[in-house]
Amino acid sequence: MGRKILLIEDDRETAAYLMRGLGEEGHVVEHVTDGREGLFRLSDGTFDLIILDRMVPLLDGLAVLKAMRAAEITTPVLILSALASVGDRIEGLECGSDDYLVKPFSFAELMARANALLRRRNRPTEDLQITIGDLVIDPLSRTVRRGGKKIDLKPREFLLLEYLGRNEGRVVTRTMLLEQVWDYHFDPGTNVIDVHVSRLRRKLDEGFDRPLLRTVRGAGYILES
Amino acid sequence: MPTSIRITLLAALLALVSNAAVIGFIHWRTYDESVATLRQQVTDQSAFLADIYRTGGTTGLQTAVDDVDDDDPQAEAAVLDRNGRPLFGGLASVSVELSEGYHPAIVRLSDESATREAAVYLHRLPHGRWLASVRTAGEGLALRQTLQRSLLVGLVLAVLLGLACGLIVARYVGRSVNAVAMVADRIGRGDLRQRISVTGSKDPFDTLALQINAMLDRINALMDELSMLTDTLAHDLRSPVGRLRAAADAALAAKSPEHRDQLLANIIQQSDSLMRILTTILEIGRSEALASRKQFAPFDAYQLIAELSEMYEPVAEEAGAALILCERSGDFAVNGHRQLCAQAVSNLIENAINYGASGGSIALDVSRSDGRLAMSVTDSGPGIPEAQLGEAKLRFRRLDSSRSLEGAGLGLTLVEAIAHLHGGKLSLADAQPGLSATIEIPAAIEG
Repeated sequence: MGRKILLIEDDRETAAYLMRGLGEEGHVVEHVTDGREGLFRLSDGTFDLIILDRMVPLLDGLAVLKAMRAAEITTPVLILSALASVGDRIEGLECGSDDYLVKPFSFAELMARANALLRRRNRPTEDLQITIGDLVIDPLSRTVRRGGKKIDLKPREFLLLEYLGRNEGRVVTRTMLLEQVWDYHFDPGTNVIDVHVSRLRRKLDEGFDRPLLRTVRGAGYILES
Repeated sequence: MPTSIRITLLAALLALVSNAAVIGFIHWRTYDESVATLRQQVTDQSAFLADIYRTGGTTGLQTAVDDVDDDDPQAEAAVLDRNGRPLFGGLASVSVELSEGYHPAIVRLSDESATREAAVYLHRLPHGRWLASVRTAGEGLALRQTLQRSLLVGLVLAVLLGLACGLIVARYVGRSVNAVAMVADRIGRGDLRQRISVTGSKDPFDTLALQINAMLDRINALMDELSMLTDTLAHDLRSPVGRLRAAADAALAAKSPEHRDQLLANIIQQSDSLMRILTTILEIGRSEALASRKQFAPFDAYQLIAELSEMYEPVAEEAGAALILCERSGDFAVNGHRQLCAQAVSNLIENAINYGASGGSIALDVSRSDGRLAMSVTDSGPGIPEAQLGEAKLRFRRLDSSRSLEGAGLGLTLVEAIAHLHGGKLSLADAQPGLSATIEIPAAIEG
């Protein structure tokens, strides 16, 4: 189902690239090139997601963000920025953005994050059981069952599975996992996420014919039945 | 005008002014005093003669006036008519304003032809006459003349001494300043190894020289770091760019679409690794700019290490090493940048996994002593030979034995920058066998 997305981005090429990609995904994209116009457009609160470049003319991205949060507009915001340092990312998140993506990024990464944010928007409650095929994740009791059989997970493995489960059927990237499950905003040099995911996969899919947790090459992971 | 001449003239001028002030003061005081004495004397004399007139009348006064200079050659007296002309007494003429009281005046004595400076006290007598008591200013005047002469001599001397003084100061200051200027000039022309010579006299110029030298050392160290960083950078960037190019070439020549896709995925991976290097460089720059300090917050260092231990445990296991986390041994509160600290420690852990996993174990320790907190990662791999440790500490470039693996050079530079940001340091030590890397930062102040 298509959603309404506001894109605040002054770089023509990036904007064209994003509008084409998001359009192909079935979303309706409105595009403005400066922060003041952006703040004006988003003020009616009818968008499902705002993609905001951090450095746009007239009113910079963080100022737009602070202004809209001060006005209690809760639309999810994904910041795009060429400022890549850990400090910059933290600053962006502290100003009230829901996610922070560093340029250059792959479209797969942006799509994965945008989808996660759009999904979060209409998620009913945090505590509801997540059921994917024969897999049942219960956030309240922190238990996981597959085909009625209990699967023992370490706390972090549970968080990892829960996050994948909440984004059922959507690609989740390694960076998203590092940020959301471990709360680290740096880029590790090793394949640390892959190792954790493959451990989880072993516990989850071993002994079952149908694998639930799949790797999407060049993008990340997807949990679906 | 050259500085030395200016300093000389300034010193001379100062000497002149101070000498003139002293001599002027003495002159003023003595002159004043002699005038006051003269004034007192004529006033007394006038009172005495007036008493005589009151008791002895004009006749008595005439005798007294004539006798005034008998005991005191400087004393004179006379009676003047209403126009100020002497009627009798020892004065030939006096030019003075006719009014009761003390006046300085010019007088001519009866037995002399020249006029003199004198102190006069006029006292009104009946019938418009005036009693003039006079005291010539011979001795006061002489004193004043002597003083004026010595003042002149003093001033000339002051100027000469001042010039000499100035020359000495100018030479001394000039020499010291020139030494600094010459070094600055050579440094300006590119010879950064120049230092100002220190005389050991511990005077302000020595202190200045020491401070300037320390500053130059610091600048040098920073420039060395910078050039080391550029070296490492050039090296670290060459390989991924080279591989990127090779992969692109191969993709162009690929026969099957599957193969091409695979090569393209490889290109994406290579560019990611390139981006990672660039981000690290940016991070180093940011950490050194101290801007991240505003994001400091208290956190528990042990908990952080424990989290990272859990996170890297499977990675280490795959590489064939066990991650061993020490037991908690106290309070490890730190005020700092949690994300950057996590990045620093994870860098050290990744290095240990990449270079030291062959030893079979990697130990993570957190300890605290003297208000400082140490987080260390110790592997039992090949380590760094003792002889190269110093170099490794100075220059975090990749050592020859590990040149095949990428990124460690920049990684350690980043770790060090993060340690510096927290007011701490990174140290490397030989763990025999293996390498021990320790980040030491100040612990949070308790209470």
